Amino acid sequence: MTDEDETAFDEFLAARSTSLLRTAILVCGATHHDAEDLVQHALEKVYRHWSRIRHDNPEAYARKVVVNAAISRARRRRVVQEITFARPPDTAANSPDLDLRDTLIEELRRLPPKMRAVIVLRYWEDQSEAATASLLGCSLGTVKSQAARGLAKIRERMTVAEGAIR
Amino acid sequence: MKVEDVLAEAMAAHVADVQATPSLGREVRRRHRSHVIRFRMAGAALATALVAVAAPAMLNSAEPAKTQHAATGTDRAVVDSVIVPRVVGKHVAEAVETLKQAGLVVNDPETTTDTGLVRMQSPAAGQEVTKGTNVQLTVGPESSVPQDLGDLGDGRKFGGIHVGYLPEGLEWGKWSGKNGFGKTSYTTTFVEPGQEEGFYAVQVVVFTGEASKQIAQRLTTFSSKGAETTDIGGKRAYLTKVTEGGEVAAEDDNVSTSTIGWTLRRGLAVEVYISPDYAKKIDAGDELKKIAEGIEPVK
Repeated sequence: MTDEDETAFDEFLAARSTSLLRTAILVCGATHHDAEDLVQHALEKVYRHWSRIRHDNPEAYARKVVVNAAISRARRRRVVQEITFARPPDTAANSPDLDLRDTLIEELRRLPPKMRAVIVLRYWEDQSEAATASLLGCSLGTVKSQAARGLAKIRERMTVAEGAIR
Repeated sequence: MKVEDVLAEAMAAHVADVQATPSLGREVRRRHRSHVIRFRMAGAALATALVAVAAPAMLNSAEPAKTQHAATGTDRAVVDSVIVPRVVGKHVAEAVETLKQAGLVVNDPETTTDTGLVRMQSPAAGQEVTKGTNVQLTVGPESSVPQDLGDLGDGRKFGGIHVGYLPEGLEWGKWSGKNGFGKTSYTTTFVEPGQEEGFYAVQVVVFTGEASKQIAQRLTTFSSKGAETTDIGGKRAYLTKVTEGGEVAAEDDNVSTSTIGWTLRRGLAVEVYISPDYAKKIDAGDELKKIAEGIEPVK
């Protein structure tokens, strides 16, 4: 690794690491601390191959490593609630003044990890369906169906929360 | 307003305050070096053993604790000072242990026996203090884990069943949930001692009443999708890896969850999962069968 490589890596970190960290937090639904650990781990991989990948879209590579690590981490967690089963509406909103944003983030956390990753990449990062599919290593059809199902879940929850506020 | 816009706003607000720390580059390079060192040393047994002992302080800890001998002279008191390690974000037990190893103490017994994550510490990380200094920790809950079934003791008897066999070395995960898998269902997990909060080795879900029908349906759909089936006490069970979307996964898919499910009797069915992590250490299929065979209905 040359000095120039090292400098380029630092520049890459300065430009991209905050965005990667934010993505990791949203995708794995974890605390800041856990996400930081995950991003460091992913960036170590990037650093290891830096001289080879630096001219070949290192950001996409880094994002792929971070997103997949975040999904894999989230998947290894125990299941408290099976998401395919509809929750009774009376437990959906805890109190009338519940902040809608918190509710949405809470709901986002409840989605299965890959579905959550699709939602984060599509609607927060504004990635195209094709780019999302390539980042996650799945088909375009999967991205479409996961995004639609994820949004439907969240919409359902939002309706309940708004009803409670009124 | 469209749900995706509201959601995008919520996500942006949720991470707006998050900034990567300027020390990230240093941390990444430090990790890289320790990765390389571990790799180089792996050849020699003795060297490996040394790494295993030395690693917590030298390679892995984000802020290695340094002990410095300040005073010298044979007839003078020796004052040892230590640098306070960073424990914010760690679990209480781990934080207490880290501080202890650095030569510091946590005096408050209520704190040391608490569960959750360290939110604040005083004195702060990086400060030089006298050995034996008391460190105050502020502890916050990590997540709201349901305790729907209360104290289950060894965790083996719940939801109308008894778990007679578990792989050696596992202990109850100290939580339980009700109706998370349909009405009426119960679940709990078993963990390896010291396993990180929120993760599991074995999870058992009991489906009764209406919820138990899911398992019969799954047996039909899973076996039509090529899942292996096996016999558990005269009942047919599916034994397969399942994706997070609830579909049969390929045999070599090592991120999916090893699962066995069967109906013990009308209105009572059980699913057992082995986490992808734990599956790397044991023969998941074999252990799932043994766990399943050891599960009996109780009153």
